[in-house]
Amino acid sequence: MQSKYKVGLMRLNLLAGALLLAFLAPRQTQLASALLLWLGVLWLTLTAALLEFSHRRPAMLPWQLLPGLLLTGLLWTAPEGYALWFWLWPAVLLMPQPSWTLGTNLMLAGISWWALYPLFGPIQAAFVGLTLAVLTAMAMARRHQPQQPVVRQRVRLVPGLPLWSAHQLTEDLPRERARCQREDVHGELLLLEVPRHQLWTTARMLCHQLYGFESCYRLDSRTLAALLLSRDDVQAGQRRSTLMATLPTPRKARFLTLATADDLGIPLADFQRQRTALTTDREFEHG
Amino acid sequence: MDESTPNTAGRFALAYVSGALLLVSYAAWHYLMGHYARILLPALLAILMLVAAVLRLTVLNHPRLPAYLALIAGYLLLAVELPRLGDSATLWVGLAPVLSTLLLPLMPALTLNVVMAPAWLLLCGAPLFSDPSLAYLTAMALAPLALWEQRRQRALMLATDPRDRDCQALSRDGLHAHLDSEFQRTELLHQSLAIVVIHLPQVEMASEQFGSRARQALLDTLCREVRRCSRRHDFLGRQTLSTFWLVLPDTSESGAQLVQQRILHALESVVLVDTGPLRSRMGLCQRLPGEDWQRFLRRLLDLTQRLETQ
Repeated sequence: MQSKYKVGLMRLNLLAGALLLAFLAPRQTQLASALLLWLGVLWLTLTAALLEFSHRRPAMLPWQLLPGLLLTGLLWTAPEGYALWFWLWPAVLLMPQPSWTLGTNLMLAGISWWALYPLFGPIQAAFVGLTLAVLTAMAMARRHQPQQPVVRQRVRLVPGLPLWSAHQLTEDLPRERARCQREDVHGELLLLEVPRHQLWTTARMLCHQLYGFESCYRLDSRTLAALLLSRDDVQAGQRRSTLMATLPTPRKARFLTLATADDLGIPLADFQRQRTALTTDREFEHG
Repeated sequence: MDESTPNTAGRFALAYVSGALLLVSYAAWHYLMGHYARILLPALLAILMLVAAVLRLTVLNHPRLPAYLALIAGYLLLAVELPRLGDSATLWVGLAPVLSTLLLPLMPALTLNVVMAPAWLLLCGAPLFSDPSLAYLTAMALAPLALWEQRRQRALMLATDPRDRDCQALSRDGLHAHLDSEFQRTELLHQSLAIVVIHLPQVEMASEQFGSRARQALLDTLCREVRRCSRRHDFLGRQTLSTFWLVLPDTSESGAQLVQQRILHALESVVLVDTGPLRSRMGLCQRLPGEDWQRFLRRLLDLTQRLETQ
């Protein structure tokens, strides 16, 4: 399952771009365009630093919008020096992005064409515009549709780890509950709240503690959930104590028997109000 | 994979036709200016672009060839015109790295850009280590980033999406991961495990003879009927292009036979528009007591092979 894909080469390309921009920036005489170039260096370096092969940071919108804005700003402030970069627009449009950022970028491309118009002169501006239209058509043909939200809900968050989205839990929970009843297996739902910066390391540790057939879910930026299966109550108790012994400490945990957790809303609200570090809900028996 | 769909082909053909129109208008402009010697090249290249568009629409299996033609057209015109453009040469030279990025896969585009960079800089007359050539090199470094990101997202989806791309079943990787974990589960809980192997011999010929729609109808029908006949926690996965595994956790041999009969009965009554009555071959693989994962998997693969070659 582990993918062979490495992000290293892409990171190298990003850094090469940043380096070239950093060469160009000090040669600028205008303050505004030098500033924009440094912003570009910053954007490329940060993207390279944050880049990883997982769904941990799905491309954020303002982040994707930034290259288009920088390019427009640069063409606006220093048209004579960087007219050549006008041809980067098809590449900006080629980036995987939702349709509204695509629309914005198309508009920005139009604005930078207008900014360059005095430099081109009417005939050349017409040919530049037509050529951009042809290249845009090619970019649109080649465009890779960004992941649909529906698809994003059903994928693993990190390749190779049984870590899924909150939506997947709402699908898995009733199925597992029914199955535990049918097979007479003791199933538990673990809710775990950790400090925000520890979420992904904790998720990784939790995933390694699980059996192959159990799954872990990321509910929000602080909360994880896991479905635990044991043969009986005694074994479940052992697993609870091993888990609590291995997971990092500033945390809040709650174990719920699957038989009582038919809906996620109520236990989750209880969990958020919970003051103690560990609670284990049991099924009430009234004889 | 999505490069061969008719929709993409149409969009590429449209792009090539618009390229041809651009070249025609360039030739027309030369005619109006009285540069008769410069008309021939863009006019010929316009014809080349039209050929590329026609090829893209008719030969679906080779999407690269028309892209090469378009790239050659763009490069030729650029190489011939750049020395004549004077001051604007430093603007138009920026087309070269972007054209290769748009038309070639990532690695060939990168290589071509690096190899051709000195030639382009020479043609546009910019001195080395001047601002225009640095700007050119930067454009060359930045343009392929879009392709890198496309590639990363595609690889990420392949590595994390458990579902098959064509139908409502698990993909091969997803199936094997799920089956592995289900095996562990049944072992821990001392349960039985059964797998029904379903082979659809019509899938391969369907796409060759009737196109992708007939194949899709076959796959959709199978997934729907199997879902109707199975429980919520049984899962269907696509082992090979035409063979599916239906994994039945906690199911005895007689239970699995019942499921097999039910599916067979459901599929027998199906008649599809293109391919006619749906044909299927099925086999049952029950986990033997004490059998380990490797042996079980080998038996399963043998059964799959037998059904496919029958």
